[in-house]
Amino acid sequence: MSVELCGVSTAYGGVPMLREIDLTVADGEIVCVLGPNGAGKSTLFKTVAGLITPVAGTVTIMDTDVATTGTERIARLGVGFVPEGRRLFPGLTVADNIRLGHEAVRPDGADLPARLTAIGQLFPRVIERLGQAAGTLSGGEQAMVALARALIGEPKFVVMDEPSLGLSPKLIREYFDILRAIHREGRTILLIEQNAEMALSVASRGYVLARGRIVAADHAEALRASSVVRSLYFS
Amino acid sequence: MEQIAQQIINWLALSSIYALLAIGFSLLFGVINVIQFSHGDVALTAPFIAMAVFASLGALLPGADLVVALIVAIFVVGVLGIVLERFLIRRFRTAPPMMALVATVALGIVLRELIRILYPDGSNPHPFPQLVPGSALSFGDVSLSWLVVAMMAVTGLLVAVLTWFLYRTGLGLRIRAVSQDIEMARMLAINPNLVFRVTFFVASVTGAVAGLFYASYVGLMRFDLGIIAGLLGFSAAVIGGLGNMAGAIIGSVVLAALDTLVQAVFPDGAAYRLVVAFVLVVLVLVFRPAGLLGRTVVEKV
Ligand SMILES: Nc1ncnc2c1ncn2[C@@H]1O[C@H](COP(=O)(O)OP(=O)(O)OP(=O)(O)O)[C@@H](O)[C@H]1O
Ligand SMILES: [Mg+2]
Repeated sequence: MSVELCGVSTAYGGVPMLREIDLTVADGEIVCVLGPNGAGKSTLFKTVAGLITPVAGTVTIMDTDVATTGTERIARLGVGFVPEGRRLFPGLTVADNIRLGHEAVRPDGADLPARLTAIGQLFPRVIERLGQAAGTLSGGEQAMVALARALIGEPKFVVMDEPSLGLSPKLIREYFDILRAIHREGRTILLIEQNAEMALSVASRGYVLARGRIVAADHAEALRASSVVRSLYFS
Repeated sequence: MEQIAQQIINWLALSSIYALLAIGFSLLFGVINVIQFSHGDVALTAPFIAMAVFASLGALLPGADLVVALIVAIFVVGVLGIVLERFLIRRFRTAPPMMALVATVALGIVLRELIRILYPDGSNPHPFPQLVPGSALSFGDVSLSWLVVAMMAVTGLLVAVLTWFLYRTGLGLRIRAVSQDIEMARMLAINPNLVFRVTFFVASVTGAVAGLFYASYVGLMRFDLGIIAGLLGFSAAVIGGLGNMAGAIIGSVVLAALDTLVQAVFPDGAAYRLVVAFVLVVLVLVFRPAGLLGRTVVEKV
C-alpha cells in the first residue's frame, strides 16, 4: 500500500476539520480526491505530508508511520509533493528548485544531468528557463516546474493538491497527459483536485470530501455518474 | 586634511565591525524569522572568552599564542549560538514576534550579567590587546594601523566565504530554501533544525570576529559593550534591509559614515551615536520600510 489513512481526524485550534477519514492508495494506482472549496482537501494533503498531526487515527506511507517519522524523512522514502499554490522557492532559480527536488530523493545528487535530460523531454519549457528566478515565471511555467521538481528524483509516490488550478484548458490537457505518462511508468498518484472532469478521466478510483468527511468513494466511472458529485459540482 | 584622513580610516574600521554584526542579524532573521536581540551580547562574549582562554593557556603551556585563544573563543561562541538556538530561540520561531523580542532581550541581559559575575572583576573594563600591532602607513599624524587593515581584509574574506557558502554549496542552497519556505523545504527532505544550527553557528562565529575586532579597536572590553554593538549592528541591518546580506553591508557603511561624521563634528559626538543610528533607522522604516536594498520578499538570504 502506498498510503493508508485509518480513522484520521484533524483539528485547527480545537475546531474539528477532517473527521474519521479512511483512505487508501494501492501501489501503482491513481486515486483522486474531489471536494468543493473548504472541504478539507489541502488539510488532507498536509496531513498526508506530516505537516499536520492528526488528533486521532494514523497515516501510513509505504509502511512508515508519518506522525513519528516526520515530513523530511517521508520525502526521502521516495515521495514527491506538489502542494497547493506550487510553492516554488521564489528567490531560487528553476535549476536550484529542481536540484532540491532531485536531492530530496537522491541525497548524493547522483545522475542529476541524466535526469535533467529525461525531465526535459516531458517539460521542454522548463529546461529553457533553468537560470530564471522561479518567482518570475508565469503561472503555467510554475505549475510545470513544480511537477518537474516533484518528479525528477523518480519518486514511487506523488501527492498533488490542485496542480491544474489556473491553467488554460490546453495546458490542463498537457498536464494530465504527463500524469498518465508517469502513471504508465508505474508511479502511484494521489491527486487532490477540484476539476472533477479531468481528475476522473485519469484516476481509477476517487473519494469525495465535503465538510471534512468522505461522502462518497467509488470507481471513477461510478463517481462520474454519481448524484453526489453532480450535486457538488455540476448543479 | 589629516583630520579627514583619520576619520576615513575610522569610518572603514567601524564599517567592517558593523557589517560583521549586521550580517549575523540579517542571516538569523532571514532563516529563523526571529530578531535575535542578544546577538550583540553573544558577539561580545568573544573577547572575554579569548582572554580567559589566553590566561589559562598561559598557565598550562608557557608561551602559548594569543591566536590559539582567539580561535578557541570564536569556536566557543559558535557553539554557544547553537546551544541558544536549540534550547531557547527555536521555541520562539513560530511564537508572536513580541514574545521572541522579550525572550532575546532577556537573554542579552543574562549574558551580560553572566560575564560580569563569571569573569574576574567583571564589572570593570579590562584592557584588550591590539590584535595586530604597528601601523601599515603613516603620514604626518595620521596612521593606518595594521589592525584596521586586518579588520578590513578579514571582513572582506568572511563576506566572500559566506557568499560562496550561501550561493555555491548544497548546504547554502538548503539554508536559502528554508529561509523562503520552511514547509516546502521539509517536503523536499531538508531538515530545518540542521539548517538552524548551521545558521546560528555561522552567524555567531561572524559575530565573534566582530566582537574581537571591536574590543581590539577600542582597546578594552566591558561586560555591557554587547548592547551597544547589538543596537548598532541591528540598526545597520535594518537600514540596509533585514534578511539581505548586501543590504547589511551597505547599511553598515552608511551607518558608520554617519557615526564617524557625528563624532568628528560634534564635541561630544560619541554620546549621540545611538540617537543618530535610531533616527536613521526610523527614517528608513518610514520611507523605505524594506530597507535601502528592499528586496526582502524575493530573496531573504
Ligand atoms: N491553519 C488553519 N487554521 C484554521 N482554519 C484553517 C486553517 N487551514 C484551513 N482552515 C480551515 O479549514 C477548512 C478547510 O481548509 P482546506 O484548505 O483544507 O480546504 P480546501 O478543501 O483545500 O479548499 P480549497 O479548494 O479552497 O483549496 C477551511 O474552512 C479553512 O478555513
Ligand atoms: Mg485547498
